[in-house]
Amino acid sequence: MLARSAQGLYWMGRYLERAQRLCVLLGLQAEALVDRPVREIYFGWSRIYDSVNRHPPGDSLELFDNDEFILADSYTLADDLTFERANPDSVWSCFALGRENARQMRHCISAEMWTRLNLAYLRIQKLDMETIWRTSPESFYAETAAEIDTFAGVAASTMYRDDGWQFMQLGCFIERAQLLASLLLAQLSADTPVGDTAVQEDSDAEWASLLRACHAFEAYHRRYGVEVQPGQALDLLVTDRLLPNSLGRAIDMAATELAAIGSAPDTRSGEAAQRLAGRMGDLVHYDWPDRAAPEDREACLQQLSDYCRELHNLVTAAYFDYPVDHLS
Amino acid sequence: MNFDNYNLDPAIYDEMFLPDGAPREYCRPLHEELTRLSVAELGSIQERVTRSFSNEGITFTVYGDEEAEERIIPIDCIPRVMSGADWRQLEAGLAQRIKALNLFLDDVYGESRIVHDGVIPEEVVRGCPQYRPEMRGFAPPHGAWVAVCGTDLIRTNDGFRVLEDNLRVPSGVSYMLANRKAAKSSLRRLYRGSRVREVEDYGRALLDTLRELAPGGRAEPSIALLTPGVYNSAFYEHMFLAHELGAELVEGRDLLVSNGFVYMRTTAGRRRVDVIYRRVDDDFIDPLVFRPDSLLGVPGLIEVCKRGNVTLVNAPGTGVADDKSVYAYVPDMVRYYMAEEPLLANVETYLCRRPEDLEYTLDNLPDLVVKQVGGSGGYGMLIGPHATPEEREKYAKEVRADPSNFISQPTLALSRSPCLIEGRFEPRHVDLRPFVLHGQETRIVPGALCRVALRRGSLVVNSSQGGGGKDFWVLED
Repeated sequence: MLARSAQGLYWMGRYLERAQRLCVLLGLQAEALVDRPVREIYFGWSRIYDSVNRHPPGDSLELFDNDEFILADSYTLADDLTFERANPDSVWSCFALGRENARQMRHCISAEMWTRLNLAYLRIQKLDMETIWRTSPESFYAETAAEIDTFAGVAASTMYRDDGWQFMQLGCFIERAQLLASLLLAQLSADTPVGDTAVQEDSDAEWASLLRACHAFEAYHRRYGVEVQPGQALDLLVTDRLLPNSLGRAIDMAATELAAIGSAPDTRSGEAAQRLAGRMGDLVHYDWPDRAAPEDREACLQQLSDYCRELHNLVTAAYFDYPVDHLS
Repeated sequence: MNFDNYNLDPAIYDEMFLPDGAPREYCRPLHEELTRLSVAELGSIQERVTRSFSNEGITFTVYGDEEAEERIIPIDCIPRVMSGADWRQLEAGLAQRIKALNLFLDDVYGESRIVHDGVIPEEVVRGCPQYRPEMRGFAPPHGAWVAVCGTDLIRTNDGFRVLEDNLRVPSGVSYMLANRKAAKSSLRRLYRGSRVREVEDYGRALLDTLRELAPGGRAEPSIALLTPGVYNSAFYEHMFLAHELGAELVEGRDLLVSNGFVYMRTTAGRRRVDVIYRRVDDDFIDPLVFRPDSLLGVPGLIEVCKRGNVTLVNAPGTGVADDKSVYAYVPDMVRYYMAEEPLLANVETYLCRRPEDLEYTLDNLPDLVVKQVGGSGGYGMLIGPHATPEEREKYAKEVRADPSNFISQPTLALSRSPCLIEGRFEPRHVDLRPFVLHGQETRIVPGALCRVALRRGSLVVNSSQGGGGKDFWVLED
C-alpha cells in the first residue's frame, strides 16, 4: 500500500491507543479523588504524566495535604490531560489526531469504522472540563474509553485484513508496549523507599489500581489470589501471554504484525526491526529477572522502553520514510 | 404542509409548478407527498438529512483566518425533479459539447485550424492565461483532453443554457451521490414509487473511462488520484472517489519520476502508475514546467505525460477551453468541427476586449452580470441589479483598466425550485452541474449536482458563498 497511507493508519492506531489508555488512567484517578489519601492522588497524577513522558503544568507537582488544594490542582491537571488543545498528549489531542489520520485515510478503512470514530469525535467536541467535572468525570472517561473499544471491535469485524490493518495494529501494539513500560517504570521508582508501612500500604493500593488500569485485576486474582503483591503484579503485567494488556503480549503481537507485513523497501531497517522485536520478546519471556533482583527488573524495563522507541524509528525508516535510492 | 404562500413568479421558470400554479405532470407524486407530510414530519426529515451529513463527515474545507475548518454543505431535503424527455435533450447537448471542446483542444495545441480559418481570434486563444504552449503537439489517448467535465447549466423560461464548462478539475460529484443517499433514506416511499434513474454507477463509469485512457491501451492499469492534500476544500471528494475507484489517494510527495515513468512510494517499494486522475491545477502539477514554487506537484510529470508513459486526467492545458472569453465561441466550435447546430445554447456574452462590447457593458451595468475571465467560485464578479451605484462605479473602473480581463452577460432569471425554509416552502434559485465522462466513449450518469442559492433573492449558488445543494431526480419515461 501507499507508504503515506500505511503511516497514517499506523499513527491512527497509536493515537487511539494512547487516548484509550489515558481515559482508563484518568477514570481511575477521578475515582481516587473521592476517597483516596492525598499521597496516592498526587502519585496518580505524576504516574499519568510519566506514562506519556510529560511534565505537569508548572513543571512539578507540589504536595499539599489539603482537600481544597487537591481538588483545585486536580481540576487543572485533569483539564490539561483531557481537553487542553495545546497539550499534544491530552485525551482530546490524541483522539483528534487519531480521527484526523482516519479522516485522511478514510478510503483505507471501513465506512463503519469512520462513522463510529466521527460520532465519538462530534460528542467529545461539544464537551469541556467544567461540564464533565460538574457531573461525573468517571462517566466521561468510561464512555470515551468504551467508544474507542467499540471502534476497535468494529475494526476487527469490518476491516479487510490487508497491510493497512497490519500497520494500524502495529501502531496500537507499539504504543501499548511503550506506555505500559513507562507506567511500570513510574510505579517502580515510587516504590523505592522501603520499610515505611504507610508508604508500603499506599504502594500496594497503587499496584492494585495499576492492575485495574490494565484490566488485569481479575486475572491477578485468578492467578495469585486476592492479596496484591507488587512483585507478582509486575510479573503478570510484564510476562503473561494470556493478558491482553501485558507488555509481553503487546510485544508478541507487534512481532506477529511485523512478520505479516514482510520485507521492507529499506531492507536493512526492516530486518533490524524484526530482530529487535524478537529480542524484546526474548527479554520478556526468557530473560526477565526474578523478584529477588528488583534493580535488574527496572533496568530491563528501561531497556524495553528504549527498544520501543527504537522499534518505532526502525519501522518508520523501513516502510515510510525510506530514502528514494532504496527503491527497487 | 401546503403551498398556499408559495411565491410563484411566472417570469421565472419554476421546477415544480407551471405558471398557472398547477404542479408539472411529472412533479405530481412529489407534490402530493409534500402536501401530505406535516410541518413536523418535514422538519424531522430535514434534520435527519443534515445530521447524516454531519455524522458521516461529508464536509468541505473553509479557509479562515486561523485554521481550515470542516463544514457541511447545507442540503435541502426536497428533490428537484426532471422529466426523462428533458434529460435526453440535455444529454445529447452535453455529449455534443464535450466532443466539440475536445476537438478544439486537439486543434489549438495542433494545427490551430480554427484560428487560421478566422473562427476564433488568435489573441483570444493565445492571450488566455490557461493556454499552455508546453502542450503543443501533445496527443492524449482517444483525443480525450477533457475526460471529466462538470457543465454548469441553468434553466429559464426559454430553455436550458450553459453557464460555464468546467474542464480543469470539476468537483461536486461526491455531493451528487451523497445527496442521493440522503434523499433515498428520507423519502423512501416516494423514491420507490417515482422510478428515479440511478446515479450510483458513477464510480464504475469513471473507472471504465480512466481504464480506457491507459497509456498504450495497457490492460489493468494502475490508477492513482492525485490530491493537493487534506487542506483542499474538496478533499472529502478526493478521498471518496479514490475509494470508489479502488485507487490510491496520492499527494505529489508520494510520486516520483524515474527513467521516463511515474512511480508511487509504497510499503513494498516503488510501483508504477499508469493513469493519474489529478485534482491539482495545472499551475501546481509540475514545478519544472509550470510554477517552480509548487510543492504539490511532481517534478518531471509533464515530460512523462508527453512521452505517453502516464495519462493525466484531465490533460494539462484544458483550461483554455473553459476560459470565459473562449466560452463565447463554443457554439461556433460545434458548427466548425461537427457541422451541426449546437443543441445547448450559451448565455449571451459580451467580450469587453471588443470596444463595442465594452461600451455596451459600461452603459448597461445595472442589468448585467460582469465576470473576470479567469474567475471562479462566484468571486470577483458583479451582479449589476444587486449592486449599489458605488459598487458599480468601482467595478467599472476595474473593467476600463483591463477590458480583456472581463466579460458580461445579461442577468438571467435562473429557475427556482421549492425548498424547505424555516418551516415553509419557498422558491430558491437553482443551477445544475451534470458530469460528463469522455474516454473511448462518452458516459453521462443520469443525475447532477443541483446547487441552491439558499439566501432569499440570491443568485449565487456557490457553497463558499451561502449556497447549498439538493438531490436531483431524473425520471424514467
